[in-house]
Amino acid sequence: MSIILVGVNHKTAPVEIRERLAFNDEACADGLRRLVDGEVVREGLIVSTCNRVEILSATTAEQLESGAGRLAQFLDAAGQLPAGFLNSYLYRHTDEEAVRHLFRVASSLDSMVVGEPQVLGQVRRAYSVAVEAGTAGRVLNRLVHHTFRVAKRVRNETGIAANAVSISYMAVELGKKIFDSLKGCTVLLIGAGEMAELSARHLVNAGASRVLIVNRTEEAARQIADEFGAVTVPFERLDQALAEADVVICSTGAPTYVLTEAQARQALSRKRNRPTCMIDISVPRNIDPAVGKVPNVFLFDIDDLESVISSNIREREREAERAELIVQSEVMQFQQSLRLMDIGPTIGAMRENFQEVARAEMARQRKHLGVLTKEQETAIEALLLTTVNKISHPILNQMRRFYESTEAETVPDEQDIFKLEE
Amino acid sequence: MRSLLLAVLAAYLIAAIHSILAFINKRRSVQRVAEWATVAGFIMHTAALGADWVIDGHYPLFSLREALSFLAWALVLVYAVVLYRYRAQAVGAFTMPLISILTFFSLLIAPGPTDALPSFSATRLFPIHTTLVIFAYAAFFIVFMASVMYLLQERELKLKTFSAIFYRLPPLTTINEIATNAAVVGLTLLTFGIATGMFWSWNRYGRMWHNDPKEIFALLTWLLYLFLIIYRSTASWRGRRAAWLGVVGFALVLGTLFGARYLGGYHVFG
Repeated sequence: MSIILVGVNHKTAPVEIRERLAFNDEACADGLRRLVDGEVVREGLIVSTCNRVEILSATTAEQLESGAGRLAQFLDAAGQLPAGFLNSYLYRHTDEEAVRHLFRVASSLDSMVVGEPQVLGQVRRAYSVAVEAGTAGRVLNRLVHHTFRVAKRVRNETGIAANAVSISYMAVELGKKIFDSLKGCTVLLIGAGEMAELSARHLVNAGASRVLIVNRTEEAARQIADEFGAVTVPFERLDQALAEADVVICSTGAPTYVLTEAQARQALSRKRNRPTCMIDISVPRNIDPAVGKVPNVFLFDIDDLESVISSNIREREREAERAELIVQSEVMQFQQSLRLMDIGPTIGAMRENFQEVARAEMARQRKHLGVLTKEQETAIEALLLTTVNKISHPILNQMRRFYESTEAETVPDEQDIFKLEE
Repeated sequence: MRSLLLAVLAAYLIAAIHSILAFINKRRSVQRVAEWATVAGFIMHTAALGADWVIDGHYPLFSLREALSFLAWALVLVYAVVLYRYRAQAVGAFTMPLISILTFFSLLIAPGPTDALPSFSATRLFPIHTTLVIFAYAAFFIVFMASVMYLLQERELKLKTFSAIFYRLPPLTTINEIATNAAVVGLTLLTFGIATGMFWSWNRYGRMWHNDPKEIFALLTWLLYLFLIIYRSTASWRGRRAAWLGVVGFALVLGTLFGARYLGGYHVFG
């Protein structure tokens, strides 16, 4: 059996193309039923996300070319594009390359942001749609399950998803480097911007128990406060709120410093010098950089966050190299198991063997037949071989169908079968 | 016994190398190797100490060779507690190499004739005194290491350099807690260790204090850690300065442990 993968992704096709091809679950199931004919395209699965549309299918080794053509045509039709239109955007991978590609996609090595966790769920969804449509057969079943295993291994054994790469998540990341747990922490938002809100949401998810919001206009503060169950604090009482906060996120539109060094010192002594993480995501900055010199205050401005993010991305890329090694070894393992699953060579060998028996019998009985013309001799040999072939053909076919309908791990090779008879 | 100790050293070395590797590349599988090697080394080490005790007929903590080996053993135990309690794997990368070095040096020193042992080492109180003190030193080493880790991590956060250390060290409050708790445990052990030593000396010589360099160092050590704990437990958070004290205090511990040998006095054995 052979595997073909044809598709477009964010690297090969612009969004105008990808959006035309995008499938929802229903279209996916419909399309699969139309595509899979049991002859050229034997099994099929469509992965459709905002960054990629890919069709994965299984066919026989002989029909690899026509199968790939069929898939490309199918995509053209699905996007209501003229035939061949997509050719310059499409990539085609077969066998080992297709397997590697799928492993890399599911492990999020092919994603726009390496290590993002959504893509595995999208592959999982694509698979369940294919299962429901009845187009996932034994090859794809096996491939997809192996893919899940690889993705899990990559996630567990490398750190490609370990460090945050978004500004809003940085508060959690930095907080965790200061406090062993964010549980029970108090978060103070100065300013009610969208980014601050998002950061606070992450902190609350990570366990922070209290959110205080200080804003010049109390209305905006109240709006966010309602969403979180947070407490609004009037601007005049900023100092008091500061003394209670473990994590401070500042994002106001103010043109000057909202928080000065003197305020920070005072707040710290009121909270008995317990460490405080302050994050200033506003431009111009709202926390005086001198605040960072106060002992046990750890102040980060937007540039610091960017620099952590870029170092996190570098860290992820280093980890991605390790992930590639895992993918490589898994691809080899899968190919090995696929080869064991393939009944083709065994059937070929058996056919050879049957014909060999016929020829041997012919040679043994030849002397009893007397003098024959060349034509007669060929006719007798043909007679024997066609008889053997015609008798064995349905049996071998039946055997092939039987193996392909089971989830057998391995097929017996021809020696195993004949040894039984000896 | 030597061959068993060589095996112990090998296990500790494997653990040390894997701990450092795990610290660098953060692989759980590597960390697991380090932990299992530590366990294997510790079991063999315990067996070696036990066998020493049975064969030599005295508690295996008297000569310098024995003290080094016993200290290594105590450190493994303390490290295991820290690892179990705080899951702070980074500690292993710092501790296991030291444990290996201690074991190595204890192997370098040829065992002396056993009959040279003074009779007093057979009294019951003496081994208790030495054991308590050795465990106190092990705890102080953890204080030292956590303090160094604290200073490194604090520096990373303040300067925002975010080097490899930043990703690998535990959070500040965790390190701080390790240092504080280890200091409390160490001081408690040292207090009892000094007390048993004094009591033993009183029974034997009729005096508690010999003005011996080791005693003076020990007293200074005791005072410093007492101060450290009081300093830490006052209402304010003192992370950085307390961490510096933890580093300086360890110099005194080293002075007590080794320095006093060169200053003479009655505390020098083996």
